[in-house]
Amino acid sequence: MPAERDGDEHAVTAELLSANHAAATAAALAGRANRAGRGFGGGVYPITPQSECIELLCRQEIEKGRIVRVESEHSAMAVCMGFSLAGARAFTASSSNGLAYMAENVFAAAMYRLPIVMMAVNRTLGPPWNIWVDHGDTLMLRDSGWIQFYCEDNQEVLDTILLAYRLAEDARVLLPALVCQDAFVLSHTMAQTEVPDQAAVDRFLPPLDLPHRLRDRAVTVGGLDLPHETEVHRRQLEDALRRVPSVHAECQTAFEQVFGRRPADAVVPYRMEDARIAVVSMGTTAATVRRAVDEARAGGQPVGGLRVRMFRPFPELQLAHALAGIERIAVLDRDISLGHGGVLWSELRGAAPRGALVQNYVLGLGGGDIRPEHVSWVIDDLRARCAAGAPEMMEVA
Amino acid sequence: MEIRLHGRGGQGGVTCAKILATTYARLGKHVQTFGDYAGERSGAPVRAYTRVEDRPITNRNKVYRPDHLIVLDQNLLGADTIEGLRTGGDLLLNTPRPMEELNGQFPAYRLAAVDATAIARRHGIGTRSVVIVNTTIAGAFARLREIPLPVLEAAYRALGLLSNFPAAREAYEAVQVRQATDACAAPAAGTAPAARPPVEPVEAHVESPPTGLRTGTWSSQRPRYVEHLAPCNAWCPAGNDVVGFVQAVAVRGEEAAAAVLAKSSPLPGTCGRVCPAPCMEGCNRAEYDGAVNIRGIERWISDHAPAPSRAAPAGLRPLSIAVVGGGPAGLAAAHSLALLGHRARVFEGERELGGILVTGIPAYRLPRDVVRREVARILDLGVEARCGEFLSAERLREIAREHDGLVLATGLQAPRPAGVRGDHLAGVEQGIAFLHRVNLGEGARLEGRVVVLGGGNTAMDCARSALRLGAARVTVAYRRTRQEMPAIREEIEEAEREGVEILLQRQPVGFRGNGRLQSVDLAEVDMGEPDASGRRRPVVTARVASLACDRALLALGQSADRGFLPPGWELRGQQVFEDGRPLPAFAAGDFATGDGTVAHAIGSGRRAATLLLRALGRELELFERPERSLAVPATDIRFDHFERRAAAPDRHVGESVHAGSFGEVALGLPDGLESHRCFSCGHCTHCDTCLVYCPEGVVRRAGPDYDLDYAYCKGCGICVHECPRSGMEMSTP
Amino acid sequence: MHEPLLAGFPTAGRRRTEPVLRPGNTNCGGCGMSIAFQMLDRALEDRAIQMVIPACCAIVTPGQYPRSAYGVPVVASTFASAAALATGLAQVAQVNGDPVRVLCWAGDGGTFDIGMATLSAAAERDEDILYVCYDNEIYGNTGGQRSSATPLGAVTTTTPRGKDVRKKDIVGILAAHRVPYAATVSLAHPEDALRKMRHALDAHGFRFLHVLSPCPTGWKSEPAEGIELVRLAVRSGLFPVYEVFEGTRTVINVEPELSAEALERYLGMQNRFRGDRLDLARVSESIRADWKRLRRLAKEVEA
Repeated sequence: MPAERDGDEHAVTAELLSANHAAATAAALAGRANRAGRGFGGGVYPITPQSECIELLCRQEIEKGRIVRVESEHSAMAVCMGFSLAGARAFTASSSNGLAYMAENVFAAAMYRLPIVMMAVNRTLGPPWNIWVDHGDTLMLRDSGWIQFYCEDNQEVLDTILLAYRLAEDARVLLPALVCQDAFVLSHTMAQTEVPDQAAVDRFLPPLDLPHRLRDRAVTVGGLDLPHETEVHRRQLEDALRRVPSVHAECQTAFEQVFGRRPADAVVPYRMEDARIAVVSMGTTAATVRRAVDEARAGGQPVGGLRVRMFRPFPELQLAHALAGIERIAVLDRDISLGHGGVLWSELRGAAPRGALVQNYVLGLGGGDIRPEHVSWVIDDLRARCAAGAPEMMEVA
Repeated sequence: MEIRLHGRGGQGGVTCAKILATTYARLGKHVQTFGDYAGERSGAPVRAYTRVEDRPITNRNKVYRPDHLIVLDQNLLGADTIEGLRTGGDLLLNTPRPMEELNGQFPAYRLAAVDATAIARRHGIGTRSVVIVNTTIAGAFARLREIPLPVLEAAYRALGLLSNFPAAREAYEAVQVRQATDACAAPAAGTAPAARPPVEPVEAHVESPPTGLRTGTWSSQRPRYVEHLAPCNAWCPAGNDVVGFVQAVAVRGEEAAAAVLAKSSPLPGTCGRVCPAPCMEGCNRAEYDGAVNIRGIERWISDHAPAPSRAAPAGLRPLSIAVVGGGPAGLAAAHSLALLGHRARVFEGERELGGILVTGIPAYRLPRDVVRREVARILDLGVEARCGEFLSAERLREIAREHDGLVLATGLQAPRPAGVRGDHLAGVEQGIAFLHRVNLGEGARLEGRVVVLGGGNTAMDCARSALRLGAARVTVAYRRTRQEMPAIREEIEEAEREGVEILLQRQPVGFRGNGRLQSVDLAEVDMGEPDASGRRRPVVTARVASLACDRALLALGQSADRGFLPPGWELRGQQVFEDGRPLPAFAAGDFATGDGTVAHAIGSGRRAATLLLRALGRELELFERPERSLAVPATDIRFDHFERRAAAPDRHVGESVHAGSFGEVALGLPDGLESHRCFSCGHCTHCDTCLVYCPEGVVRRAGPDYDLDYAYCKGCGICVHECPRSGMEMSTP
Repeated sequence: MHEPLLAGFPTAGRRRTEPVLRPGNTNCGGCGMSIAFQMLDRALEDRAIQMVIPACCAIVTPGQYPRSAYGVPVVASTFASAAALATGLAQVAQVNGDPVRVLCWAGDGGTFDIGMATLSAAAERDEDILYVCYDNEIYGNTGGQRSSATPLGAVTTTTPRGKDVRKKDIVGILAAHRVPYAATVSLAHPEDALRKMRHALDAHGFRFLHVLSPCPTGWKSEPAEGIELVRLAVRSGLFPVYEVFEGTRTVINVEPELSAEALERYLGMQNRFRGDRLDLARVSESIRADWKRLRRLAKEVEA
């Protein structure tokens, strides 16, 4: 695809890409970067709204790369595990029910400490069938041991996939990473996206040297654990996830050195400096929140926005830091843990300052279009409350 | 009350715990029962638990401080097994060991022992290699805890295990108990577990060491290599190592086989021609695709490999033994004695050694040069021959005085007469006398029709010799049916092929003639009820027909002539006694037993030689014929391991019999390949079947043999079951 | 060494020091899968392999982490995933020029049932994988439930009166994928088994071996009689020994007797066939029908 030239005076080399294509482009760049290693591979299976990603990937020429067109998401992840265990860099993409079907192997990939990167387009779980965005599908996998990123724009999708490989493959981490983007809002929306050249990506992503890749030695990967072994193995997984924030920071710096821009932090604040009210969200909702915050600020209200970009490991410290001194917190969940409330809300409550009012708003399920006025209504509602209530199920569509 | 069970996967420990819980529930208690669930495999150590309380049970933990312990396999008994058992508690052990052997052990507990495995096996519970002892040992536990049998029985019924209850009852009766003797002797109760080794992270796990799991303890049985009696060996009257020489041909060649044969038989060339081969009757291959042609193989060996001369072993002062009679029994005795380093002197009435081999068996069956070759080999061993003197009683006494011992093997001298009207007529002759004449070259031409009376080998020899001497027509008349003819089957077939007619169920009742035989009266015979020998008794009828003939040869059997024994000598068994006192003199062969074949004579001669040496104070193993019933039965041979292949038949001269031609008729086998058909019953051939099928890979080649790694062998028994030839067995270590 | 059946068999030299399956594994005594591993071990000689084993008895076999009874590299996959995970390994081996042969070693549950889609897909893609199914006709690892490989009449914990439908024709299914090689393997015919394993190891593309694996625990039979049972299954015609090349050329390797004696002994030696739904006539009829079809396939090649 020829690069679009921006008419702007700050002429940037950017391509007009959908986030699906941005993801495929990043995967191909990362894949080629391992040609000096054991190569690259992926198992791919179509599902709306992710299919464009794997279609583009299947059109890529990747030296020492193999894309396997499997029969299910379950096998897509199994193939990735095979690629990864053999020392190759592995990638797949999925969405919604596909992730649910894949789930068993999603867990297995983490248990085996395989630095697979998966792009997930967040889509509502059916039936009844609904192809539009919500976050319930990937949040279902929050306990799997995967690192989870939720992106806000096309560039972030591309950058985060490259970053995720560096982070996942770090010897201190060795965990799979999930890079999420909102269905259609990102996946099918074209936007200017800077595509780095291969040489730069090669510098950023050295060949993968998986310490436990299968060689010719007698080893059984995944035999039987007794309770004690499982206790320790779970702790080791947990420890690895807890090392992610510091390694992530190193990766951000390295990324900036190579590509000249710094990927966002695990938690992204907006006008939080003197705020007493915070609106917390994930994914593209955060952009809408920024608009609403600006409006509220214009009305003199001390409101700030917080985007949770990395959901696993959960950035509890960063959140606690960002929320220090905040009195009222609105948590926008584009998901629901049925019988309880929003997933982000339930996790964030622990990081909220003592005495703060934390109210959950579940909105935008099934792709309902979250507009700034919805966020403004949230802010008004929050300000009017004397105490937190049950999660507020909002209808926006 | 907490009960812990230690068993092995497949023994049914969890079910046992369930039986106990069910029983206590019927007694009105609150119960709980559960097992350790893991990757249990048949034989792997597993635990199960039963908890019994008067009140509802709140504890959901495993049992760490059991009141009572049940150990389903004594090999599981170790510190970790009895860990935590409360002082004075019951320790019930499944063991074959009697209480006396266990008495000093586990003084802190009330010790109870029962051989539940044996009981369960008797009741057929489980499989042969994995006996399920749960339902049995529960009976013993009921006894210890004074649970009434009817309550226990009700529990078995409730669990659908009633068919196993008799075994439980037996264990209830059989369990032995010893009270705790030293309450202070209990090991300290389990403390905090020792520090564990670090758990390797998944991403650092690049090599898996072996498990070291000693699966050899999983089974109470293990295989081993054992030689079993081959039926051919059991059936050989001469005591030859038949499977040994047949396998030697197959694997190591004729010379090695000849060496095997030479240890037992002085006359392989003879037996290879004239033996009725009981070994072939016993041969298990007969049940599959035809017996191995063992006789042919023996002949092949004898004709193609010279028997090695064996130096007599050095040792005690050699004895000098007189062997009276140079037939097969005498030669075998002399041969045995010579092999054992003694001096044997053979006295033979005829001009040359061989006895019946030269005087009785026609040359077309047994060429004279074969006999001479075998005799020469015997003499090579240092045996001395004195021929041409028939001994008087006086001379016999003298010889006995001159030697350390005596073997009497003069064979059968007295032919049975016909005992009917006209048997004195000229032209009626004893077949044995006829053959003697013919074989020593004194034979005359025959003419006309010859009738041979009898159905044994002598009859066939007479008939076929008569044909060769010019008889126009030869008829054999036998009083029973063809199946009962004692002659070797092939001899009968050969005779018929050569033109001999056989009349069955005919008994001579008289000879007619005017000074000279003109006809024989033959009565028809009906077959009656079986007699003591199992053969149907012939019933002579009044239906008589006359058969015109010029010569009648009587082959009705012979008996030993003991008339030449000095006065006062008598035979008791094989030994000779003089006025009631045993002499160092033993009878052999037909003279002793009348069994009638060369092979029997050899066996008998060998036995006489060993009996005599024993009597003379020498220590040695008596030659004994093995018990046929101990031989490997055909059902223990895995026929599927062998390709079907018909037995190789002996070759024969093609042309018909010419008058005067006494050349050998049967030519034997073209090669030794028939030996490859041998199953080698009971004798390992290193065929690798055990190795190929071993699921554990613990059968390994070790030099020419195999090594079994008992540390890991699970005792499944496939190697034993699949052994094509019963060269292995399961045993209890 | 004059046993025509096994001549030269175990003497095959090799430099590998480790067996595929080490002693000290946790399989039951007399396990057919273990025997199959010993056969594979001999077939391998010096070939390097990597094995993928889905959840089944064979992944309990190695024992407790970090130790293992396997002497070769092994990856445990989730139940349905063996052929997919192996695909990844095989593809990486290919792009890197590694000579290693990638195997799947799966039970009937992981092959006939839950792994069927994965297996079918890998076969369709003609991945460079040797897939070995050790078929004990039961979910043995979970305690003996019926699978779609459980034969007509067999009692399992989930078919207490005996299964009333027939097992899948798995080799037929694979042959319909036109894979380069699909064959049945009788453990009672070691020469044939060895030949097929070597052929399958050296061929490229997707190869499939179906091994009838006696299971004393699940079949309720004597551990010592496992090989005998396989032999009887072959003799009776219940387990045809044949191979299919490229999905078209069918070759019968062992002629069965199709005898009632063999069938009755086979069924009689296993307590799993003591159910009241065992219909001997129906079993015999199914054998006849199978052989009629098989012979037609074999004949088509000759024609």
